[in-house]
Amino acid sequence: MIEFYHVYKHYIGDQYALNDVTLSIQKGEFIFLTGASGAGKTTLLKLIFKEESPTKGQILVDSTNISLTPPKELYKLRRTIGIVFQDFRLLQNRTIFENIAIPLVVRGEKKSVIEKQVLNVLAMVGLTHRRNYIPMHISGGEQQRVAIARAIVGNPKILIADEPTGNLDTELSIEIIKTFERINANGITVIIATHNTYMMDLFPKRILKLEKGILISDTTPAARAS
Amino acid sequence: MNLVTSTFSNAFINITRNKLINFLSLGIIAFTLLIFGLFNYITFSIDKMTQDFSRSIKAIFYFHEGVSQGDIDQLISRAKENLLVKNVIYSSKSQAEIDFSRQFPELKYILSEFNESPFPASIEIEFKPEYTLDTKIISFIEEIEKTNIVESKQVNVDWARKMIAFKKFISVVGMFLSLILIFVSVFIIFNVIKLNIFYRKDEIHVLRLVGATDWYIKFPFIIEGGILGFCGSILAGGLLFGILKLFPAYAAYMYEIVKGMIDFENIPLHIFLQLIGLGTLIGLFSSYVSSRQYLKN
Repeated sequence: MIEFYHVYKHYIGDQYALNDVTLSIQKGEFIFLTGASGAGKTTLLKLIFKEESPTKGQILVDSTNISLTPPKELYKLRRTIGIVFQDFRLLQNRTIFENIAIPLVVRGEKKSVIEKQVLNVLAMVGLTHRRNYIPMHISGGEQQRVAIARAIVGNPKILIADEPTGNLDTELSIEIIKTFERINANGITVIIATHNTYMMDLFPKRILKLEKGILISDTTPAARAS
Repeated sequence: MNLVTSTFSNAFINITRNKLINFLSLGIIAFTLLIFGLFNYITFSIDKMTQDFSRSIKAIFYFHEGVSQGDIDQLISRAKENLLVKNVIYSSKSQAEIDFSRQFPELKYILSEFNESPFPASIEIEFKPEYTLDTKIISFIEEIEKTNIVESKQVNVDWARKMIAFKKFISVVGMFLSLILIFVSVFIIFNVIKLNIFYRKDEIHVLRLVGATDWYIKFPFIIEGGILGFCGSILAGGLLFGILKLFPAYAAYMYEIVKGMIDFENIPLHIFLQLIGLGTLIGLFSSYVSSRQYLKN
C-alpha cells in the first residue's frame, strides 16, 4: 500500500529530517509511528500525502510513484487519504456538519449523498447531536472526533493521524484510538504518529520508530507479543 | 450544480467577509475606470466630430470677371474626371446673387444698387471622404488654383487635417493613460484577492489536503475578482453618465466651449458596455493571476 525506498528529506542545515528510510506498509495495517519530537514523524506523514517531496528516494502509494505525480494531479492522491491533524484544522466559520462535508463538497457530490454520508460518520463518531454546532462550541475530544469524521467521510484507503491524542486525556485518548480501530476494521490502512507509549502498550499494533530521521526499529505485533 | 453553487456562494461570502477592503477597492476601481471611461468618451466624441467634418471636405474656386462659360465647363469636366472628387456644383453670378438674397434677406436691398450681380461665378468641389488625408487633394487644389480663370479659393482641408492630427494625439494620450489606469486596476484587484487568499489560507490548506482541485480553490477568487471589476465598472458607468448629464447644467460657461466637441445629449450605449466588459475582464484576469500565483507556491 505504502512503500518508501531509500527516502531522504533534507531541510536547511546539516540535519536530515529523514535519512535513508525504507519501509513497506500493507493494505489494512494499523501502524504506530513513534519517536521523540523532531525525529521525523510528521515529515514522513507529509511525504505520504505529498505535502512535502523527498530530497532523494522513491515513494509508492497504492502502486503509484507519487514522486512523478504532477501538482495538478495531486488531488487524486489526496482523495484516497484521510488526514487528521493534531490541531484539528476545523473551519471555525462552518458547522460540524459542513466541516465534515468538505471532502465530499470538493468532489462535487450530490446534496443527498453528502447528507447520507455525513450523517453516517457523525453517528460513527457519536456526534450526530452536535451537527449544527460550530467547532469552538464543542470540547477538544469532540473536535478531534469531528476531524476523524472529516478524514473518513470520503471513504479513504489510508487514514493518517498526526498526534491525534496529543491534547487529550487518557480516557479520551483510548476512545479515539478505539475509533481508529473500528475504522481500520473496515480495511482502511491507519497510520498514527504518536509518542504516547501508554497507548502503544495498550493497543498491540506494529510500531515504526524513528530517531533523528533514521528508522531504528520496526516491531510487528507478533514480535511485541513474544 | 453543487460545485457551481458553492463557487458562487463562496465568492459572495468572501466579498461580504472583508467588507472594508472590498468597499475601498471597489471605490478605487470605479474611479480609475471612470477616468478611463471619460477619456474614452472624449476620444470617441472627437473621432465622431472629425469623421463628420472630413465627410464634407470642400474647396470653392471663384472665377475672374469675364471668364467664358466654355473655360468654366472645361474646368468642371476636368474636376469631375478626377478620382478624388465626389461632386462639383457650379454657381453662376446670378445664382450667387439669388443664394445671397435667400441667406441674408435683410441685406437684399444692397443688391438693388448694382446693375448686375456683384458676386463672382464659382464652383464648389466636394471631395470623397476616403481621400481626406491624401496629399493629392492639396496638389489638385493647387493645380486648379493655377489655372488663369481662378481668382481665389476657399478650402477647409487644413482644418480637417488639424482635427485628424488632434484626434490622433488624443487617442495616443488616451491609450497611454488607459494602459496606466488598467494596470492600476489590475494591481488593486490582484492585491485585494491576495489579501483575501491570505485571510483564508488555513481553509485553502484544508481544501487542498482533502483533495480539492486547484480550480475548485481558485474559482471563487476569480469570480470574486470578476464581481469587483463588474461592480466597479457599473459604478464608473453610473458616475460617467451622471457627469455627462450634470456637466452642462453646472458648468454653463465651460459647456459652451466644449459642447462643440462632446455630445452630451446622445451618450452611446457601447461606451458603457465597453467599460463594463473591460472592468469585468480586469477583475477576472487579475484575480486569476493572483490565485494562480498563490497556489503555485
